[in-house]
Amino acid sequence: MKRSSLVPSLRRVLLALLVSACGSGKDDAPAPPAAESLLAPALRRLSVAELEQAARSVLGTPLDLQGSLPPDALQSDFSRNIAQSVDSLTLRQLYDATRRASEAVPLADPAFPSCAAQAQPGDTGCRDELLAKLATVAFRRPPSAEELTRLRALFVIGVEGSTFRDGAALVLRALLASPQLLYESSLGEGPAQNGARMLAQSELASGLSFMIRGTPPDTELLSAAAAGRLSSGSERYAQAVRLLGAPEAIPQFQRFVEEWLGLVQLPQLAKSSTVTTDFAASSRAMQSETRSFVADVLAAQRGSLIALFAGGYSIVPDELAPLYGIQPVPAGGRVVLRGMGRVGILQQGSFLSVFAHEGESAPVLRGKAVLTRVLCRTIRPPQEFGIDLMFPAPDANSTTRQRFERHAVDPVCRGCHSQLDSVGFSFENFDAVGRLRSTDAGQAVDTRGSITLNGAPLALKDSVELSDAIAHSEELRNCVARQVVRFASGRKDEHAEAAFVAEMAALPVTWRSSLLGLFLSYVKSDGFGWRLEQ
Amino acid sequence: MTRSARISRRLALSALGASATLALTLPGQRSARAAEGRPKYFIGIYMPHGVARELWVPGPGFDIAYPDSVLAPFTDAATFGQSFREQILTIEGLDLSAGMAGGTVGHDGSRVLLTGSAGNGRNASLDQFLAVEQGLGQGMPLSSLVLGVGSPNPALGWCISYAQGGNALPKIIDPTDTFQQAFAQWVVGSDPVALAKAAAERKRGKSLLDYWRVELAALSARAPASERDKLEQHATALRDLEQRLDGELSACTPPTAPDPATFPRVQAYQGGEPYFDTVTNLQIDLLTQAIACGVTRVATLFLNDLSRTHLDPALPEDVHIDVAHRYESAGRDEQGGSPATWQALARQNRYTYSKIARLLQRLAERQLLQDTVLVALSDMGDPARHSSRQIPVLVAGGWGGRLKAGRHLDLGATGTPSNRLLVSIQQAFGVESDSFGQASDPAILTGNLDLA
Repeated sequence: MKRSSLVPSLRRVLLALLVSACGSGKDDAPAPPAAESLLAPALRRLSVAELEQAARSVLGTPLDLQGSLPPDALQSDFSRNIAQSVDSLTLRQLYDATRRASEAVPLADPAFPSCAAQAQPGDTGCRDELLAKLATVAFRRPPSAEELTRLRALFVIGVEGSTFRDGAALVLRALLASPQLLYESSLGEGPAQNGARMLAQSELASGLSFMIRGTPPDTELLSAAAAGRLSSGSERYAQAVRLLGAPEAIPQFQRFVEEWLGLVQLPQLAKSSTVTTDFAASSRAMQSETRSFVADVLAAQRGSLIALFAGGYSIVPDELAPLYGIQPVPAGGRVVLRGMGRVGILQQGSFLSVFAHEGESAPVLRGKAVLTRVLCRTIRPPQEFGIDLMFPAPDANSTTRQRFERHAVDPVCRGCHSQLDSVGFSFENFDAVGRLRSTDAGQAVDTRGSITLNGAPLALKDSVELSDAIAHSEELRNCVARQVVRFASGRKDEHAEAAFVAEMAALPVTWRSSLLGLFLSYVKSDGFGWRLEQ
Repeated sequence: MTRSARISRRLALSALGASATLALTLPGQRSARAAEGRPKYFIGIYMPHGVARELWVPGPGFDIAYPDSVLAPFTDAATFGQSFREQILTIEGLDLSAGMAGGTVGHDGSRVLLTGSAGNGRNASLDQFLAVEQGLGQGMPLSSLVLGVGSPNPALGWCISYAQGGNALPKIIDPTDTFQQAFAQWVVGSDPVALAKAAAERKRGKSLLDYWRVELAALSARAPASERDKLEQHATALRDLEQRLDGELSACTPPTAPDPATFPRVQAYQGGEPYFDTVTNLQIDLLTQAIACGVTRVATLFLNDLSRTHLDPALPEDVHIDVAHRYESAGRDEQGGSPATWQALARQNRYTYSKIARLLQRLAERQLLQDTVLVALSDMGDPARHSSRQIPVLVAGGWGGRLKAGRHLDLGATGTPSNRLLVSIQQAFGVESDSFGQASDPAILTGNLDLA
């Protein structure tokens, strides 16, 4: 399904949300919250994708940084994180990329004042207009007088013996690699109250826009910040609903899901020629399937977690149809897969391929992914128990399940493996690329498993039963709430996550079973708007 | 704590301009800046997934030329111009103790190799410690060169260079980028127009640096102490950029740019594997030329493995799973393991060591080897067990006369922390400290090895 056709659908959903009572939660009076659950102030270097968007907003034209900057360092699985930094290579590459971009400054673009295209070097009025406009976009707030003075000095150097365009080019280079552009600040401002400090209006605007759309704030959001309206949780909520209606919101949710579930590893995978001959093509199709599916869940299902994990359908590209054993369907159309072993994202080729070895399934990896990523459980690594890893020996006469069951007989190993493997075994009807199989090593596959959900043990016939159970579980809802806090704040913080989970518990299940509901509630929450005093 | 006290001295200096390029030396420590009687260059190399120990341990009299010896490339004078047997030292018995104590093991162990710290460590790796904190990279166009082959992935298990604060440093994996970073800006020829353009760009670059420094200092003044390392790394990056702008090539002819047609792809799993051999050779040659031209004194290289390269028809397609994971060591069971699996892994290992032999050859050709400390480490002892114990270590180069090479050092099976190797290297560079890395147990960090 094309993104453009999903946007109107998403807008209808959002309109309903805006008038829905579900969006409430805490009132929006800016009273200081309990400090112990607040995040520490931080500076977050923008991810490469965000830097591209920030550069685009300044330049008015796209700037390819994905192809030149080093890839993002993920933390807690997300590219938006406060561990990212400006290292020497990143700065050198940024320097070179922005120098190249400045050689063809499109001064006639609406990003620049209309006077700029024809201005002479000595046109100080146009210069000041240009500097104020560019700096406001780059800094995501109005520049101070001091900052404008520094930019003026730079313009003078650039324009010396040269053209207005050269002055503008030097200023652009300065702004595109300015610390004020590179970092999203969440430091807070104003007097502290009870150990807490509210974020500055500009910080609220940037935080909101980068979280919801992966882009710098637009004019309307900057205006709300300038008017001081973003202290209000309800105003932030309304702005978020508005931003969600833009096309950029869909890739941002796709990014959230792909990073949360580890699916970003897909392009880095290889598979043995014993299971597939052209995995590069398959993996592109798998990525396309997951992205189309997430977009559909967001736009047509309110971002329902039940649909994400157990919707019973997918949007399967033609290239993937043979691997799934189905006939191709019209582009973008839903295919009902329930009854064919697949009900949600855990049975998609992307998840099943990422959490598999090159030539065989990987019950431990699949079990671990479900328990740690989907349910936020902690599995301690074997080395903490003094256990050296030992892979099961190859054995052409044994199924993967039999080999892994044998290797975890040690009572120390069994402590964790009884949990991991009993979840992972439920996927044993899928091979290393997510193709359904009925036999393994000449024997019928055994997909029986088990899991304890909300304290109750549950026997599983296969991973479909696992997905159905997880999709409706409180543990999933709480885990996704935690993942939203990690994604938004760029870090793992137990206190902040627990506070948001507790806050969500007061809202209806339908609301907290929705990605849209969780994102909107977080934007509105105190945890989003306040920071610890430091 | 007052606001001004939150900002480190170095960061504060950076706002003042060029004077900030002075590296700080910790009290009681001597700087690692190149000095007479000391090594001048450091090269750290990661080699993947352990070795076949049975064919790696030298025979009596430091015999490394026995049949199927993993270390045979170092005696292959026909290929590499000379035997390097007398320039290498193998060390057996080091454990990645800091990683094991902190749960950073197996494939994540590369994080520990040069940092001596687990995944949550905040200290710089030895290469960055020497280059940035101890000033070995001071005044060089690039304070260090961080290279890789096959994957730009900055995640745990994919890097060996880390900045102060604990962030992995990205690797350059495309030789074209390596050339661009190390040489391109100085290759302007003698055309007056091109020279004037380069001079104008240098002037603009200095103006930009001045601007960014002030902006960074303003941001730093508002930032909490928890963000200090991050902002210091940014300040270091600005200093590096300035050094690049100021830099000049010393008495060397810059290499010609690599021909991208010879390596149309560079990334693993995206069609790059067939070109890894070409890419590895180019990275090694460019690295050596960068040192010879005075571009840098510190470099690391993260090697990729042979998987899917089809370079060695005797090896299976998936070397990782079908060779390294299938290795059955002699000590594994009463039957004495599986010699066939040693042979397969040894082929992989010989390939890797042949690349290190190539690097030694290039360094020797430019009379750089005597002043170099080279260390090649792997993240695993027994690769099938993903063990962080008994990792294979090879050190090479002259160490400025501070290494007694041509021998094998067996530290025994009791488990000596790898940090001691890092301590020995920093001491060779003149850093008077007897510990390196971070771990809750000081015994892991302290002490050195007798390598001289």
